[in-house]
Amino acid sequence: MSDAIPTIAAAARLIAAKELSPVELTRACLARVHALDGELHAFVHLTEERALAEARAAERAIMASRPAGPLHGIPIGLKDIVDTKDIPTTCGSKFLQDNIPDTDATCAEKLAAAGTVLMGKLTTHEFADGGPSFDLPAPPARNPWNTEHFTAGSSSGTGAGVAAGLILGGIGTDTGGSIRGPAALCGIAGIKPTYGLVSRAGVAPAAYSLDHIGPMAWTAEDCALMLQVLAGHDPHDPASASRPIPDYTALLGSGIKGLKIGVIHHFHEVDHKVSEGTQRGIDAALATFRDLGAELREVQLSPLQDWAACGSLISITERAAAYEEWSRTRLGDFSERMRSRLILGALVSGVDYVQAVRRRRELRAELQQAMAGLDVVLTATQPAEAAKIDAVPKWDLFDKPGFTMPFNVAGYPAISVCAGFGAGGLPVAVQLVGKPFQEPILFGVADAFEKATPYRSQRPALVSTRTAA
Amino acid sequence: MPSDIDDAALDYLLARAGLSLTAEQKVELKTVYAGIAAMAERVRKPRGRMAEPAHGYGFAEEDLP
Repeated sequence: MSDAIPTIAAAARLIAAKELSPVELTRACLARVHALDGELHAFVHLTEERALAEARAAERAIMASRPAGPLHGIPIGLKDIVDTKDIPTTCGSKFLQDNIPDTDATCAEKLAAAGTVLMGKLTTHEFADGGPSFDLPAPPARNPWNTEHFTAGSSSGTGAGVAAGLILGGIGTDTGGSIRGPAALCGIAGIKPTYGLVSRAGVAPAAYSLDHIGPMAWTAEDCALMLQVLAGHDPHDPASASRPIPDYTALLGSGIKGLKIGVIHHFHEVDHKVSEGTQRGIDAALATFRDLGAELREVQLSPLQDWAACGSLISITERAAAYEEWSRTRLGDFSERMRSRLILGALVSGVDYVQAVRRRRELRAELQQAMAGLDVVLTATQPAEAAKIDAVPKWDLFDKPGFTMPFNVAGYPAISVCAGFGAGGLPVAVQLVGKPFQEPILFGVADAFEKATPYRSQRPALVSTRTAA
Repeated sequence: MPSDIDDAALDYLLARAGLSLTAEQKVELKTVYAGIAAMAERVRKPRGRMAEPAHGYGFAEEDLP
């Protein structure tokens, strides 16, 4: 097979045409894992034998008939807070070093049923918070575009693994930006779907009412293919939505002429001014959307700081509740960064929490009103290119509000797509936000952007330099 | 909510939360208290007592006998 790393969509077409063997595809991913992961640390647990067995089984089934769907025979990875039957699930924590679940999380079960090849479990910040941490059992993942730099988190291994082609797609989770942040800094696509669309059952909580599960892959189209399998009602998740599941690829390639895109300029130009490289990426993206025939409108929302305060108070409190028992009895066993986040819970009163949840209703209504007459809105995903991994500030949440939390607060779907390269050749991104359960429109816009720009043709240099024969 | 916190108040909150912190951890926590206080202030708006929170309590189909 070619040395080029295929997208899921391209691999699926070749597999369906019996021009690409799932075994060959899996071996190519494994070769990249062996060549690169000693430096990237994307995997905490590689399931090589299982992956090859699953790839062989997929190949047999496909040769005997045809693929069960576009994910059949595709190598993927799961963030290590996703329960996997008979496979260690450590949540990146000392607490769960010996934890081997006896059931799969719903999302793992669905991907397995679709015929994916599980390559292993991917690095995460401890219980999907804090990080990067150097005092955990496994080292933090590093950015394939420059391994001296951070991936963002907490779905750090998924971001690094997809960007470097160790896997073609993976699962991330997102409580305040943990899918979209690593997607942005690693130069890939990642979507936080509408709250409730993908089951959280079997996935370790970070903050119950803000937690989302979603796909990360090289392109928006690949994310759509994965979401098709992941979405759906699950009675084991009390927040699971019961709605018909549309075709998430329905609007791919149909163009975006006449679509209305709102731009929340004040988020990234006033409330938290982004880096020059990121601003250039946003400006170029807006020009691309205009060229594609979209209409751009200005959108004004409450200051980013209001959204951050609301989301942070909810997140801090729900996390402190989830991990209260261990905080009281074994606080010293958490990583320093996770511990620091957990103890913030002592400073938030019950009334503060309820006021935050009352504010949440107001903010969601505000976004709903602002998006009336619009198809999507756009802002930054990250404030700047990836920082050096040893220079990531610990307390950013107080003075530099993130661009992703507003859409966890609202529960609206949001995707990050690569918008070019900034300082040091590191990726920059834009974030597109859709209305609840309107992921097909979001994918259509993201896909049109990716196809109109050259950024999907460039992989991190280390992929070619370190894997050359 | 005051923007700083004294040692006695912090000790009370930590004891109430059941947390046992080192002196160093307490010092760090005091340095970020103002950030939490500012957030708590930001979510308070003049909204009146009837304004409901986003998270409602209710019955799903499967909760009904």
